[in-house]
Amino acid sequence: MNVTDLVDAREQATPPPEVDSAATSGARVGSLLRPFAGKFAVVVALQVIGALAGLAPLLAVVEIGRGLLASGPVDRDHIWTVVIIGAVGLLVRLVFTSASFGLGHYVDGAVQLGFRRMLAAQLGRVPIGWFSRRRSGELAKVVGDDVSAVHPFIAHAPGELVAAFVVPLASLIYLLSIDWRLTLITLIPVLLAMLMVPFFMLPARTQEQKDFDAAMGRIASSVVEFVQGISVVKAFGGAERAHQKFLRAADDFVDIFSKWVRGMSVVAAAMQLWLSPPFVLLVVLIGGTSLITGGDLPAADLLPFLLLGLGLTAPIAALGHGFDDMQTAGRAVGRIKEVLDVEPLPEPENPVVARGHRVELRDVRFGYEDDQEVLRGIDLTLEPGTVTALVGPSGSGKSTLVQLLPRFFDPTHGCVMLGGVDLRELGSRELYGTVSFVFQDVRLLRASVAENIALAVPKADHDDIVRVARLANIHDRTLELPRGYDSIIGEDVKLSGGEAQRISIARALLADAPVLVLDEATAFIDPQTEHAVRQALTARGTDRTVLVIAHRLETIAHADTVVMLEDGAIVERGSPEDLLARGGKFAAFWQAQQSAVAQVEPSGAAVPGEETR
Amino acid sequence: MIGLLLRVLGNEYAKPMRRTVALMTVTAIVEGLLYALLVPVLHKLFGANPADAWPYLLGFAGAVAVYAVLRYLSDVSGMRVGTSMLRGMYYKLGDHLARLPLGWYDATRVGDVSTMASKGLLAALGVAAHLLSPFISAMVTPLTIVAVMIAYDWRLGLAALAAAPLVAVIQKWTARSSAAVDAERHERDNEAAGRVIEFIQAQPVLRAGGRTGERFGLLDDALRDVERTSRRGVGAVLPGAVSLTVTVQTVFTLLLVLGTYLGLGGDIGVAELLSILVLAARCADPLLSLSDIGGKLRGARVELERLDTVLRTAPLPEPAEPVRPDSHGVEFDSITFKHGDRVVFDDVSLTVPVGQRLAVVGPSGAGKSTLLQLLARFYDVDAGAVRIGGVDVRSMDTEDLMSRIAIVFQDVYLFDGTIEQNVRLGRPDATDAEVRAAASAARLDEVIDRLPEGWSADVGEGGARLSGGERQRVSIARALLKDAPIVLLDEVTSSLDPVNEAAVHEGIERLMAGRTVVTVAHRMRTVRRADRVVFLDGGKIVEEGSHDELLLQGGRYADFWNISTASTASG
Repeated sequence: MNVTDLVDAREQATPPPEVDSAATSGARVGSLLRPFAGKFAVVVALQVIGALAGLAPLLAVVEIGRGLLASGPVDRDHIWTVVIIGAVGLLVRLVFTSASFGLGHYVDGAVQLGFRRMLAAQLGRVPIGWFSRRRSGELAKVVGDDVSAVHPFIAHAPGELVAAFVVPLASLIYLLSIDWRLTLITLIPVLLAMLMVPFFMLPARTQEQKDFDAAMGRIASSVVEFVQGISVVKAFGGAERAHQKFLRAADDFVDIFSKWVRGMSVVAAAMQLWLSPPFVLLVVLIGGTSLITGGDLPAADLLPFLLLGLGLTAPIAALGHGFDDMQTAGRAVGRIKEVLDVEPLPEPENPVVARGHRVELRDVRFGYEDDQEVLRGIDLTLEPGTVTALVGPSGSGKSTLVQLLPRFFDPTHGCVMLGGVDLRELGSRELYGTVSFVFQDVRLLRASVAENIALAVPKADHDDIVRVARLANIHDRTLELPRGYDSIIGEDVKLSGGEAQRISIARALLADAPVLVLDEATAFIDPQTEHAVRQALTARGTDRTVLVIAHRLETIAHADTVVMLEDGAIVERGSPEDLLARGGKFAAFWQAQQSAVAQVEPSGAAVPGEETR
Repeated sequence: MIGLLLRVLGNEYAKPMRRTVALMTVTAIVEGLLYALLVPVLHKLFGANPADAWPYLLGFAGAVAVYAVLRYLSDVSGMRVGTSMLRGMYYKLGDHLARLPLGWYDATRVGDVSTMASKGLLAALGVAAHLLSPFISAMVTPLTIVAVMIAYDWRLGLAALAAAPLVAVIQKWTARSSAAVDAERHERDNEAAGRVIEFIQAQPVLRAGGRTGERFGLLDDALRDVERTSRRGVGAVLPGAVSLTVTVQTVFTLLLVLGTYLGLGGDIGVAELLSILVLAARCADPLLSLSDIGGKLRGARVELERLDTVLRTAPLPEPAEPVRPDSHGVEFDSITFKHGDRVVFDDVSLTVPVGQRLAVVGPSGAGKSTLLQLLARFYDVDAGAVRIGGVDVRSMDTEDLMSRIAIVFQDVYLFDGTIEQNVRLGRPDATDAEVRAAASAARLDEVIDRLPEGWSADVGEGGARLSGGERQRVSIARALLKDAPIVLLDEVTSSLDPVNEAAVHEGIERLMAGRTVVTVAHRMRTVRRADRVVFLDGGKIVEEGSHDELLLQGGRYADFWNISTASTASG
């Protein structure tokens, strides 16, 4: 498979997606559905015609009864005509409802695909930081299950709901034309059932429904956790206790579920009884017999009520039946809209081109939560051709700072500039073409090794991929795989953490971007790789802008500039020699590091200035 | 279907299940029989003296009352069985998952299993609670009605009966044709879910490559496959639904024609004929609903089969008579282990005497971590044996084995909960003082002091709210609390900065004191303190000895060491 295949052909064919953050999710969902409006209308029309035609055989039975029960000679021709009309009615019903079903599901598939693509596009635009507060499994559920839950809405609701109202309405009018008293009597079961509806809406029921949903969510996340943490579950043993959280969630769920069902069982049973054919027939028969014995109704007129009366309950049944589906779909739509409503990082209308690749941070403030600032006024310039080492205690904001460069977040105040242009004015393609990074949490795709390496440079050729793979020390291992560079990660081979890390390094090397941001702890995974990466980075030599979260004293010692971060602010900056000589916070930090290293490895570490550069 | 349900769950549910099915069948028969009373009622109503219908009508009312009671009872019974099955299934699945070998778990399992635990189990419950009753009634009631018809007029009755075998054949045929599509749809859905997760987790890199949603071919292909499969699903289900409708409608038309013919010839009473036609119309609806119910049942069946497959995956065998070792030396006795097709170890032998420290070094992919996992019996070896205190780990009780081993992993996984809960996992019955002591020995107390919520700070999913070094300290505290005689360390400090590394090392030193230790390391510094070092490559032990001996030998280990020190010098 060629790497460029990964990029869908439509990349060339269609303009980039409109990024209209002002459009509400509702409007976007509407615009998604609009092209299908005509088809929906056809689905409904077919279903209604088919359902009405379904009344024909029932009316035929009525007519046959009338003909046979009428006094005097039987009109045989009329009766046979009626039989034929009934049979034709059945045929029409068959053809039209089948067509409606087929078309409905076809449209449904297209709409679902549209929804999923819309969600995927949205997920590709929201700030990266938004993901850190969400479980990816839950988002996958939105794209998968929640969109599927809309299915009854699209495929069934238009046709079936309309039919469920139109047909009983037609029946009702017909029955009224025969005898209004018996019609009203026939409606008694519907009335009884409607009286039950409020019982389903009691606050207690709504609360139970909410509890049920919450319990279901807990089950889903506890099982994800259980499976992901299975190695810990096993290591800390005791099938009995380690997964008790899952079992507790399960118990909880079953209890809530039982309570919910018990709360409704009597009401639900009563409702089902009122709508059941035996009860409806009983009511019609009692009413009919009273009217017939009183001489108020010809016996033959009872027939249409026996045949069509049952159909009058259809709307209630459809509502009751569809109620759950509709609630589920409603909640699903809510979750879908929640995702669609996230403000994406705004793309500039007229992207400006950066001049050079000096990086400047001007009075940058940032916090993940409104009330907690992680960066508090950072002013920093990274010159091309220099290496800047970011040091500081854990929790000082180093990781957050470097994540602003690839625009995982926008600063809440101040700006980050690349080549004199605010990142926000820069097109995202250009930004990502310029800034490359190696961070923690390497994620490989279930795609070939070559594709994974070329992820950021889809058009790279094979030689380039091999070259960077060699540099990142993953080439030999790749050749050992069953299908070499075409081996699918996760299917043909499972890579270890270190190997995955190497692939991510190869990615960054291939991208060869003029600005490189990396976390030393993850970039230098073993002596061989560290060596290779250092060489590869310096090979480009001249004008790369490098920002590194530095942990090793040797890296710090060889940086052009050291920036010491503490509690979200820069406390010291300068060349490592100057800073050491100043004897301030950095010097203290250096001493602490050195003694820490000495504790681990007594042979001592490099001291700036003592080595040749 | 019910057989499958009972096989998955075990026979303790057989009795209540049978009772429920019996109750539902009786209810359906009563419903059918009750319609039979329509014939005498109509007969009287169409006759000379309609008032004679009242006694029969009273009987009809009585039958409806009986039907109502039966139906309520069978609903409640179905719900009760369903709920108790659901609980049973959760327990069974949970226990089983904990016993499956770690090798069973791969990237796709998380999604599979979580779908199973939510959708799958509910589907199974749905069978008992919601689907069974309509299904039984849609089959049994029409059959009863046909029997009633035969009793009144055998010709019309037999004509109606003709539908029965056809309906049965069509049901079977539809089931088969849609089963394949259902399976494929499930596969596509899972594939797409997996791609979405990937897509989300790889966002930073994907954006770097300019791949937004609609340009990420892998995901879009998966989404299109979902659509294509669902379209094919319609194609598979539609013929079945259509032929069912055709059959039912043809038979109804047949009854209409035959009945009219008989009625016009005077061979059947008008009241009987009209009752039979009303009853025939009554049969049609439930029969037509069969295709819908059948589809839902098949869906539930697929879920159940999936569950069944998982439950039937054999866990690592447990010994019938577990042996308890009385010392804690570790021995790998000419072990061979394959992971899929790849040979990870080929006849490797190693011993670690009680209280000694072994360091395992080698290029990545050499199987260093696997060595630790074999000792903890995440997998079983293909040949040879892994022993603790001379006892094969396979003859040990898993609980016992695990209680003797403390592991600190390379990737620390923390459970969503507080720091304290995560530490306590090491020994749930530890006193607060012991937990605090373990925490301060692992220098976790520094972390706790810094966090506003302290001990009860929530660590987030997988421990995401803590940094790598902080997570590692939690996991060391956990291991310290466990206080096991064997300690396994897997590249513990590989991604830590020096300050964290120093802190973690202090904890690890305490952890290792007086214990049998196997440590995997590529930070050369940590290797020097081991009593012995083995260099692993290509499934074999390439070199073995103390750090100084190996350096003198000037082999692979020495190369490794030199590169490591060289990179320090060259910068």
